[in-house]
Amino acid sequence: MQPIFEAYNEIIPDFSLFQEVLHKPLTPHLRVNRIRIEPKNLFQLLKKRGIYLEQAVEMDQPFYLAPESISLGNLPEYFAGYIHPQALTPCLASVALSPQKATYVLDMCAAPGGKTSHLAQLMENTGVIVANELYPSRHPGLGHTLSRLGVLNAVVTDYQAQQFPLKQRFDFVLADVPCSGEGRFRQIEKSFIYSERGSKKKLPDLQKKIILRGFDLLKEDGLMLYATCTYNPEENESVVDYLLKNRAAELLPIDVGLDYEPGICEWRQIKYDEQLKKTARFYPHRVDSVGFFMARIGRKR
Amino acid sequence: MKNGPQVSNAAQLKVSRVGMKAFQMVGAYVKPTTRLVQAFGHAAMRARIVLDEVQLHRLLGNEDFPMELDLEKGYVIISLENDMILGLGFYGHGRLKSQIPRKEFRKTMIRAS
Repeated sequence: MQPIFEAYNEIIPDFSLFQEVLHKPLTPHLRVNRIRIEPKNLFQLLKKRGIYLEQAVEMDQPFYLAPESISLGNLPEYFAGYIHPQALTPCLASVALSPQKATYVLDMCAAPGGKTSHLAQLMENTGVIVANELYPSRHPGLGHTLSRLGVLNAVVTDYQAQQFPLKQRFDFVLADVPCSGEGRFRQIEKSFIYSERGSKKKLPDLQKKIILRGFDLLKEDGLMLYATCTYNPEENESVVDYLLKNRAAELLPIDVGLDYEPGICEWRQIKYDEQLKKTARFYPHRVDSVGFFMARIGRKR
Repeated sequence: MKNGPQVSNAAQLKVSRVGMKAFQMVGAYVKPTTRLVQAFGHAAMRARIVLDEVQLHRLLGNEDFPMELDLEKGYVIISLENDMILGLGFYGHGRLKSQIPRKEFRKTMIRAS
């Protein structure tokens, strides 16, 4: 059988184990929405329904493994905004950014709103989040998620992320950019084979424009997080390297309480800045979730 | 959302949605939205009723739901026994009707007995 993502054989450790995991379904996770309820109180409610949650990370973050037999969207606790089904590694993007209370935050590509609502949770519903989403068709879903989870501090805009107006600066910027989504792929059915569509080849150009704009929107002491759910270095390290070459940016260490592989510094004979080792690559055979990449970025001092 | 420099900054943007929709007019009544009630209903001093899951199942099934409450005709906040606020009902003439959005909250989400 042809390996999946064979092109990454050299950069993904334990490639055979990685292949095995790609044939298993994604493990569902959920985030407890502390805007509405504390985890210990939720446990009591779920216990009455015979549902028990298992902590997904050791750190003090409300991420849990969801029982596979339960449809989370069919629980009253979902309707009441107590829980949000969300893959574990994307949750970590908000944790890595960790916006403080009463700050001004931009989420450049906000729909469907899982990370935006998580940012609001971390900010304890204070300050302001500008949740930007270009496509109007995605606004109802975004609005619904924010309302259901009790987010009060968000405004929604619909600019192209790479052309977001430069007239103001933000304390925190999340650039969870459009990507090829390789990290979400699982080969469960034989007929379902990963294929690269033509439009995906244009993604790195778009991502480079977005990362530059996101950086330009940062305050002097601001913090930015660039994230994708793909393994492709051309959408990850190459984009961050482009930022480092074109702006006075520096990469900052990432500590989210889970093991990850450092970013790579060379791909297809192209060398990247050594700082790229500070970026994080999450693989599904290391962390039981989607493949994810993140870079934590500040201004060079 | 407190008024301040951040809100002033955000006001300069072309904004399509702000915060949470709080109220809508329904006939002569100002009706709080389900999400507003879920967020702030805990602070309500009156017009709150608590149902168990069997009662809620009946209410959602549009069954005749007689209930004598010391309340005027109007909206009431419905919560489950565990203090989980679900949304609104409309009380009048000794009857309670569910105003909880049916598309989002279905009978099948709770136990019937």
